[in-house]
Amino acid sequence: MSTSAYFLPGSLEKATSLLAEHGPTLLVMAGGTIAMPLINEGISSPEKVMGLRRTGMNYISRSDGHLTIGATTTLTQMIHQDEIPVLQEAARAVGGWAIRNMGTVGGNLFAPPPAGDFAAGLLALDAQVKLVHRKGERWLPLSEFYSGFMVTALQSGELVAELRVQLPKGKTSFIKFGRKHSNTPAVVTVAAQLVMDNKRILEARLALNAAGPYPMRMKKAEQILKGSTLDAAVIGEAAQVAMDESEPFTDGIASEWYRRKMVQVFVRRALEKAGG
Amino acid sequence: MGSKIVNFTLNGREIDVMVKPLTTLQKLLREQLSYTATKEGCKQGGCGSCTVLVNGEPMMSCLLPVEDVEGQTVMTLEGLGVNGSLHTLQEVFFENYAVQCGYCTPGMLMVSNALLNHNPSPKRDEIVEALTGNFCRCTGYEPIIQAIQIAAQRLSNP
Repeated sequence: MSTSAYFLPGSLEKATSLLAEHGPTLLVMAGGTIAMPLINEGISSPEKVMGLRRTGMNYISRSDGHLTIGATTTLTQMIHQDEIPVLQEAARAVGGWAIRNMGTVGGNLFAPPPAGDFAAGLLALDAQVKLVHRKGERWLPLSEFYSGFMVTALQSGELVAELRVQLPKGKTSFIKFGRKHSNTPAVVTVAAQLVMDNKRILEARLALNAAGPYPMRMKKAEQILKGSTLDAAVIGEAAQVAMDESEPFTDGIASEWYRRKMVQVFVRRALEKAGG
Repeated sequence: MGSKIVNFTLNGREIDVMVKPLTTLQKLLREQLSYTATKEGCKQGGCGSCTVLVNGEPMMSCLLPVEDVEGQTVMTLEGLGVNGSLHTLQEVFFENYAVQCGYCTPGMLMVSNALLNHNPSPKRDEIVEALTGNFCRCTGYEPIIQAIQIAAQRLSNP
């Protein structure tokens, strides 16, 4: 079956109206870097598709200490902003140049692990996500957006419209470990933010990708860090706890066993980098 | 909803094409317009052999619906040479053995062209970074990287 209708709404309002009209039979895509490969392969044969490229949601704006990022902002646009370096690094972790020119911040939230590294950066910054329905909108912490492998809090008729992140108060780091230098799926990706008062950790955010069914924060490891003095022993303990807390998987890139070991190694390195 | 007419600029010429919903730019170029320099590789966005420039930026034509380029400017390898002669990048790829089987070459040239337009004297690591989305299974990349370095010199000292 081939696609009988491809909609390219010119605004978010038109997009949510189309979604309300056609319901879940309408496949939503932004940059096309996730949906089109499946369609090209015949794995997915959607009857109706909606593209978001013309909705005007490709913007980055700064106000009262926050960055607001429209859902169809490309990963290339995120590299060009310099307000939040950790999000530049997270954007660089995705694909090659052409893919980053197409792939979007909102679309990347739906990339199944080990893809979807940008979310690790967002989680380390406590990002909030705006979900818009024809009849209203709601905000959700990104950490509550995911609930399982390719399962999110997005309800029927809703679109991801915007992300909002506070300019980081602490020191940040981002490390993607893959089998190649770049343009490669992750073995494990780690993003960290440490808010420090001298050597004491006031707040800690630690987020992983490719170490579970969705990009996730390591909340037990964060608890180890919070209130502690940043030293090798605390970093080692947090890395150990993150390893136990992670839920890695086996795929063509790495085994569960190897990923678990690498969670420990790269959480340690990410914390050393953020603390150093 | 059936086929649609889409208007865009291809290699400096404004065209109107009729496409079925969600037809990719790659399919249009190769099958409807016989612009076969743009290759069909993985159709997953993974190999870069279908790379074209949209408003000067590299994109994977296998992932791009034609309707998305309405009103935009598209450049393929057919638009790189001027008046039937080779572009400097094409000359140095040829001279420097940066081509073996040739399948990746159109994509490599499109990305190289965009890189030199953005950054006329790229450092080696910037060239490598720009090419990471384009796979070559023959050359080992080294002749391609060198060719781009030579082209950058020639273009800045004509």
